[in-house]
Amino acid sequence: MTTAGHIRRAWHAVDPARLGNTTPQIAALRPRRVELGLIVMIGTIVIYAMVSLSTTSARPAHLGPFLASMLVLLAVAHLATRRFAPAADPVLLPMALLLNGIGYVMISRLTDAVDGGSDLAGLQAIWTAVGVAAFTVTLIAVPRVRTIARYRYLMGLAGVALLILPLAPGLGRSINGARIWASVGPVNFQPGEFAKLALAAFFAAYLVDSRELLRARIEPRDLAPIALAWVISLVVMTLEKDLGSSLLFFALFVVVLWIASERAVFLAIGSALFAAGAFMAWSTFAHVQRRVDVWLDPWADPRGAGFQIVQASFALAGGGLTGTGLGRGEPGRIPFAESDFIFAAIGEELGLAGSVAILMAFMVLIGSGLRIALRARGGFEKLFAVGLTTLLGVQAFVIMGGVLRVVPLTGITLPFVSYGGSSLVSNYILLALLIRMSHEQRTIGPGGAS
Amino acid sequence: MNKRIGRLGMIFGVLYLILFVQLNRVQFFGAQRLRDNPINSRGLIREFGQARGRILTADGVVVARSVPGSGSFDYVREYPESDLFAHVTGYQSLNVGATGLEREYNDELSGTKLEQQVATIGDLFRHRDSTATLTLTIRDDVQRVARDALGERRGSVVAMDPRTGEILALWTWPSFDPNLLAATDGVAANKAYEDLLADPADPLLAKSYRELFFPGSTFKLVTATAALDTGRVTATTPVMPESNSYQPIPAGRPIANFAGETCGGNLFEILRVSCNTSFAEIGAEWVGPKAMIATAEAYGFNSVPPIDLPAAAASKFPTDYGKRLADVQHYRGGTAEAGGPAPIALPNGDVGIYENTARLAQASIGQNDVAATPLQMAMVAAAIANEGALMAPHVVSSVAAADGRVYSSYEPRIWRVSSSRTVAETMRRAMIEVAETGTATRLEIPGYVVGGKTGTAQLGTNPPNSHAWIVGFAGPPDGPAEVAVAVIVEAQKGASEQTGGRVAAPIGKAVMEAVLGVG
Repeated sequence: MTTAGHIRRAWHAVDPARLGNTTPQIAALRPRRVELGLIVMIGTIVIYAMVSLSTTSARPAHLGPFLASMLVLLAVAHLATRRFAPAADPVLLPMALLLNGIGYVMISRLTDAVDGGSDLAGLQAIWTAVGVAAFTVTLIAVPRVRTIARYRYLMGLAGVALLILPLAPGLGRSINGARIWASVGPVNFQPGEFAKLALAAFFAAYLVDSRELLRARIEPRDLAPIALAWVISLVVMTLEKDLGSSLLFFALFVVVLWIASERAVFLAIGSALFAAGAFMAWSTFAHVQRRVDVWLDPWADPRGAGFQIVQASFALAGGGLTGTGLGRGEPGRIPFAESDFIFAAIGEELGLAGSVAILMAFMVLIGSGLRIALRARGGFEKLFAVGLTTLLGVQAFVIMGGVLRVVPLTGITLPFVSYGGSSLVSNYILLALLIRMSHEQRTIGPGGAS
Repeated sequence: MNKRIGRLGMIFGVLYLILFVQLNRVQFFGAQRLRDNPINSRGLIREFGQARGRILTADGVVVARSVPGSGSFDYVREYPESDLFAHVTGYQSLNVGATGLEREYNDELSGTKLEQQVATIGDLFRHRDSTATLTLTIRDDVQRVARDALGERRGSVVAMDPRTGEILALWTWPSFDPNLLAATDGVAANKAYEDLLADPADPLLAKSYRELFFPGSTFKLVTATAALDTGRVTATTPVMPESNSYQPIPAGRPIANFAGETCGGNLFEILRVSCNTSFAEIGAEWVGPKAMIATAEAYGFNSVPPIDLPAAAASKFPTDYGKRLADVQHYRGGTAEAGGPAPIALPNGDVGIYENTARLAQASIGQNDVAATPLQMAMVAAAIANEGALMAPHVVSSVAAADGRVYSSYEPRIWRVSSSRTVAETMRRAMIEVAETGTATRLEIPGYVVGGKTGTAQLGTNPPNSHAWIVGFAGPPDGPAEVAVAVIVEAQKGASEQTGGRVAAPIGKAVMEAVLGVG
């Protein structure tokens, strides 16, 4: 509660109207002090978790160097915002670092559980460093978010290209049934993770232009873009067998369209199209039917098709209120515990307390993202912030809901938490863009456009 | 657009609220059901392979320990004394879970108790062996004597300290080797379990505290206590008439003495020779249902004893005797038949005759539906030896950390007050007389004060066979009794009042000598 109070005071303090003659740069450092305090707190939590893990597990092998590099990464991320976006919202970065930190500790612990498994923890540490670097570079390279709008069609093209890149012969790779990987030289990555950022920029820029038209009256040709987005998302679903990403892109487009047009009818049309697409997929593809069957009744085949979801339920139930303690549970029994099912692994070892903490961190991120959208002056920034926040919020909901059997399971990462370089790097870029927008609106003047 | 953004926020709020509710359902409200799901083997294998604390006897012998294992299990549970403590420690198996102390003290042994995990602030930052060592009240030397004295005969031996309730020996033959069930080879362990389960002698069952037997004449101690408690009976009065048969009223099968013998006399005399006819009459006509039930329950009948072992059996004394029909005087008053009691003035009123008083007559000599565990009968002797105070029985004296720091130690406490001090003292003297000159002379230990009571619970007449019982206590001449025992030797040939004294008393004597350090 004290922290929240500090944050609120800090925000008032940077409102230039209240600052009088104080220069924005100096006043802007106040949110950074709040951020520093939060980062110190979160660093302590993560370091404590890591040290306590080292008492029950062989991991991490090099605790000292790990802790040092961890502190360096926290410091770099904080100093980057201090230097390049000093007035920005002080909770975004700490929440992301908290999720990243808890995820990293869990991945370390899971690496230990799988004998002879590849060193996921070491790789994730490298991906975290790359992510923080991408965060810093984005803050430097994008001094004003509005400039992105200038490259809207380039963004749109890049987005679609990245989306279908895994289908390209020679480049695309199919792993675990989903063709969502691309290999360029020695580097494997998921282009879809970056496509979503480009498409968010494109949608925001495109819809801010056609906003007035959409608000007035719906002409059949106005529906062309939504139809196109629908087709793209169906292509992703059918050819790449990536249900999660498909849902994510479509949700992104429908939400941004709804906010831009201010017409709920688009939300209805979008939902109807989504339902139609989902039904088509269900009636056509055996793997989609399997997913739905398992969602409806995982107990029908608890050792076969329902194994993963049943094991996840057992893990969460085993954790109870306070969890088994780090290194004391059996999250290794859940297939893909380090990526898609990391939420269940956290729920098992850190309990309801830990899983709710993850939930709260995402809610804080979503809240901060939408507040940035509310305060944004320009239409593009507003829609872009909505888009980025929607990506984060929907992706986290879809995978956590899948693990909890609220929605059918779709293979998708939990942002910042799951193992995976592409996901981590793209989400740090997303975070940097939100922080950049937050800084802009707090230094130039209060928001209020549109 | 801001209005729509606010609504979007609400939509996200609802979506995440759904997740929050579902998390609570899975992790809290519905968690137990998921944990109990038979498909859920989570925890079993991990717990099985973890190190557990040791179990030591009072004299420091290791009876259970974890040794480094191989394969998928870090540790294997080992029981160095094989079958000697199987019914006390129980076993920890992969297939059928844990029994005995392994089950009762699972949290302490596995170190999952919070106080064991976080004993100091420093424990928050380092991993310490949190498993606890259990120290038993049972002595390895006494347990061995019990085993050797009983030999290959089926039966149970219970020895306890009447002053504290500490169990000193708890032995049942046949027993089993818990190492077979704790084996990491699940198939072999399962086979061993199936074999033991199929054995008609049921070696897996700790009969000493989990099986009910007819207590036979040892139950007369309870009837005598009840009689003294009413005040109508004293050590010297009444003098029961010599008789070889008792006809219960209002109706019922006559009760006879072993071999048709004739007996009678005051309370001490009828206890000394274990006179069925006199005790049946005293229970039915002098004590009555209410006082008999009250005293039996004051000794612990009809309750699960508070021993720190799982699934202990409650001994039984019947409580239903139907409607009260009339005063005893109505049947006996004034017109005493030959051999019946002379009408007397009852100071506390007439106990009355009930529809099922015949049942009470049988129950008063330990027949009918009376059933007791060997532990229960040891508790009867212990309460008499301890001034009427029945101490709560227990087998674990302390729970301590690996470094010797004691987490908890057992404080002796009274479970039931079985009788007044005066009544207990009278009973104690009566039992001493039984051991000196009665049916339990084979219990005598020269130089010690010994009391006893035999029992022969007849099972059949063709061929005659019975459970042979002895209960007793012993102590130095100048102090309180230090040990109480109950011994049952099951299904022995013969059925006379001598059977208990002949078969069971020497075992009781050997065990008490071991406790007292004689010989």
